[in-house]
Amino acid sequence: MRSVSARPSATLQVLFEPEGDARRLHLIMRQRDALRPLFLATWEALSRQFDAAELETWAGAVLELVNVNAGPACLIAYWEASRDAASTREIAPLLGAAQICAEICRHAGAPAATASLNALAIARRSFGAAALSRWWRAMEMLARQAPESVLPAAGRMGQILLPGTIEAFEDFITAGLRSAAGDRNRRLAFFSLQDDLARRMIARDPGGVGFPNVEAEVKAFTTALWGELPLLRGMAGDSMDKPQRRSTISGPIIRLPETYRGVRGDAARGLFRAATAHAQAHLVLGRARFPIGTLKPLQVALVNLIEDARVETLAMRALPGLRRLWAPYHVAEPRGIATAPVLLARLARALFDPAHVDDDGFVAKGRALFAAALPRIEDSAISREIGTLLGNDLGQMRVQFNARTYVVEPVYRDDGLGLWDFDEGAQPPDDVLDLFIDAMRVDAQESADGSNQQAELGNAEAGIGRGRPVAPDDRGTVIARYPEWDRVHGIERPDWTVVREVAAKSGDPHAIEDALDGAGAVRNRVARLVRGLRIGRIVRLKRQHDGHDLDVDAMLDAGIALRSGQEPDPRVFRSSKSVHRDLSALLLIDISQSTCDRLPSGATVLDIERLAVAVLSEAMDQLGDPFGLLAFASDGREDIRMTSIKGFDEAYDRPCRARLAGLSSGLSTRLGTALRHAGNVMATTTSTSRKLLIVLTDGEPSDIDVSDPLDLVEDARRAAVDLRSRGIDAYGVVLGTAGIASAPRIFGRSNTMLVPRVENLPARLSELYFRLARR
Amino acid sequence: MPLDAYRINTEPYYEPQDTEIDIFTAAYSERLPVMLKGPTGCGKTRFVEHMAWRLGKPLITVAAHEDMTAADLAGRYLLEPSGTVWHDGPLTQAARHGGICYLDEIVEARQDTTVVIHPLTDARRILPLEKHNEIVPAHADFQLTISYNPGYQSAVKDLKESTKQRFIAIDFGYPPPSTESTIIARESGADSDLATLLVRIAERSRNLQGHGLDEGASTRMLIHTGRMVRAGLPLAAAVRAGIVLPITDNPDIRAALTDAIAACVP
Repeated sequence: MRSVSARPSATLQVLFEPEGDARRLHLIMRQRDALRPLFLATWEALSRQFDAAELETWAGAVLELVNVNAGPACLIAYWEASRDAASTREIAPLLGAAQICAEICRHAGAPAATASLNALAIARRSFGAAALSRWWRAMEMLARQAPESVLPAAGRMGQILLPGTIEAFEDFITAGLRSAAGDRNRRLAFFSLQDDLARRMIARDPGGVGFPNVEAEVKAFTTALWGELPLLRGMAGDSMDKPQRRSTISGPIIRLPETYRGVRGDAARGLFRAATAHAQAHLVLGRARFPIGTLKPLQVALVNLIEDARVETLAMRALPGLRRLWAPYHVAEPRGIATAPVLLARLARALFDPAHVDDDGFVAKGRALFAAALPRIEDSAISREIGTLLGNDLGQMRVQFNARTYVVEPVYRDDGLGLWDFDEGAQPPDDVLDLFIDAMRVDAQESADGSNQQAELGNAEAGIGRGRPVAPDDRGTVIARYPEWDRVHGIERPDWTVVREVAAKSGDPHAIEDALDGAGAVRNRVARLVRGLRIGRIVRLKRQHDGHDLDVDAMLDAGIALRSGQEPDPRVFRSSKSVHRDLSALLLIDISQSTCDRLPSGATVLDIERLAVAVLSEAMDQLGDPFGLLAFASDGREDIRMTSIKGFDEAYDRPCRARLAGLSSGLSTRLGTALRHAGNVMATTTSTSRKLLIVLTDGEPSDIDVSDPLDLVEDARRAAVDLRSRGIDAYGVVLGTAGIASAPRIFGRSNTMLVPRVENLPARLSELYFRLARR
Repeated sequence: MPLDAYRINTEPYYEPQDTEIDIFTAAYSERLPVMLKGPTGCGKTRFVEHMAWRLGKPLITVAAHEDMTAADLAGRYLLEPSGTVWHDGPLTQAARHGGICYLDEIVEARQDTTVVIHPLTDARRILPLEKHNEIVPAHADFQLTISYNPGYQSAVKDLKESTKQRFIAIDFGYPPPSTESTIIARESGADSDLATLLVRIAERSRNLQGHGLDEGASTRMLIHTGRMVRAGLPLAAAVRAGIVLPITDNPDIRAALTDAIAACVP
């Protein structure tokens, strides 16, 4: 990038000829009727700022543009740029601009040079003098190396410069040149922002604080404030050429912008806190839903505004310090042109801050109405009343209000969408819809993403479809065959069952994360257990030959022995040693049809299994114990389906949680084969001294091709015994009451944990693990 | 009287939250063992002291810990120049001479240790001292009270079913805001505005319980903070030193809690 700067500004002086250029330029312009008036105006404007010598050099610069055949449009653009910059009284940047512009013209043609000059106005908004000269050099490099791309890039300068730093722009240019690797079409795609990388580079805000950075903190902050855990989501799909999106409430979920553009560091953290505190205040204190009815967009906006003020007033009564959080964003001043958005922002400030002075009649009326309604502040109906009234007033004032471009001010407030009830039957006026169109679009996009995922899931699901005649290839890869025990004849049928590996589907990891948040108490308990175990457990040893402490009881025995003439036991010390765990665990999860049974709480058995596995996985991950997650279901002996959610060597990350969330119920439980396969997986991939296999199941083994379930119980028992002989401890965790009789038979009474109340599973499962891990 | 040193002569301040005084009085009149459940710093120990004073009985307190053995509770032979001498443990003292024995944080002790209290807490009301070859019948005034913190105790350190089911239980929570601010004002000397504010601050931290904090700020913590303010520290500094810093080490939670507390302060 810097190599471009090889052209020192001193070379500009070469153009300088005493009494030459200015005169020549005037002579040329005399012949150009179309250009002359503009030129003379520019000359006059410049001569007010610059002395003769400087004007001379400027004329030389224009001549250079003339010499490279830049054309009238380019000259006019340059003059405009010159007039814009004249107030800085610095001639050098202007000369440099002409120089580079001529260079761009040589390489990329006159239209590109003109577009660059037009883009200069945008660049000047973001950059100071030093950064501007770097911007020009970057443009020149682009012209030299990718002449075809200057025009599209210059035309989109507003978007390209959104990150706001010259470094980001230089990176953008270099990245584009590099990623295209000489391919003209790819360069064009990149610089006309068709390319994904290009869009991502623009969207990236290097100094910005994104929602994911602050999510944990903001969540805790809002929980502390209101005592309810907020459901927060980032909002993808913020398009760069639109105004900054506001947060939005849909149902119980608060969606926040991925970033607040141009807000950095602590300011961004503060803004996220302000926005979440405001939105959650709506959910906790407001929760009103207004029917949209026949309200006009301006009335809708005003009802939103009054409701915001109402909720904030209530919130600040409970927590007065919130005023300090929100106040910095109310910056509307009581002056300027009274357009509708300005008046709304001023009213918002006036209602927020009673001490603020604003003499406008409309604002004063809003204040008076709100003050009169204060005794009824708990009642959300006042928002609709006042908002509708004020909307009428403002409508009669004939101020312009464009629902399409209106954004709620101040920036921390939500877009108000969550307040409205769109009655399916009633057709709201078109422009009301416009008001919400952006918000909807984001939702639609997100659900579109979701449905794509759904479609993929659907395809994958086709492989598990029940009773569907499918080609063997679609049923997953055959990975192993296992024998099965024939209870009646007392022999082992070789290669009787077929295990197929089925690719895991991805679900929404948010589902798991929300469930984890909801299970805070259990999770905390488990986290404490993790802390207790992680440091290595310390075991006290009594009656030792040496140690750091006397064992009082042993010492007394020794003293008594001495006095009674016996030989005392010399082991009178206590010591301690820390025990290190060396164990790996495999969780085998039953996802047969019965796990989609609903519990009284409304959740399915599988939901609870998922949560329990997520809680335990989190713990095992923190402990650093190697663990694997395997789900199984069966559809006859030829089709035992194993879904690997997490292999022992995989990290427990988001995709892994997505796979866990993607589990769905179906088919039967051929437990014996699942045990044999899990045993094989453990034996071949783990090397710890202890191996735990924990089976989560909700009933007796069964399958469609086995009439007597006892056969499978007996087979599973043999499989469990076999595991033990291979050094793997198998534990059965039995949900509900169906498997109470058979499970102790399979795993042995001491290796069975019955969980008749399925809701207790998350706590009990982790409890079991920690009890086993301590042994 | 052998337990005179354990008598409480001045009334320990206690603000009743509910019917706990009646329950304890009734349980004591029937000499039934009592279990006090509740988060740390909510007044369990103070309540026992208050009840011991109210009933006029000596109170022997034992803080349970992991290394505690049955001998630490019941007693053991010690060596003296003249030979071995039996020394009663705190539990035996209370049982022999009549008093309330209070085992604080009972789950910290190992489960096999706590089994020694079983014969004392059912109809037998005796304490067998195997090493001393003696059976101590419990004194008529003897009563056993234990405390434990269900949030703090871990899954592997739970009470045995057979232990749990011997007790009358009283559940303690944080007192209602008005009561709590009275307690804070009384104990720390803070004025009522400050006490009310401290309660509101505590509510913020209690909201985070289970969502980043194991437990919210306790009443004891608020009293300490109030005392720090009375000693001349500005409120913000006192809250930081007295609540935010002790309660968590997680920087996100600290920042969130600090900001949420700031939202309480007018």
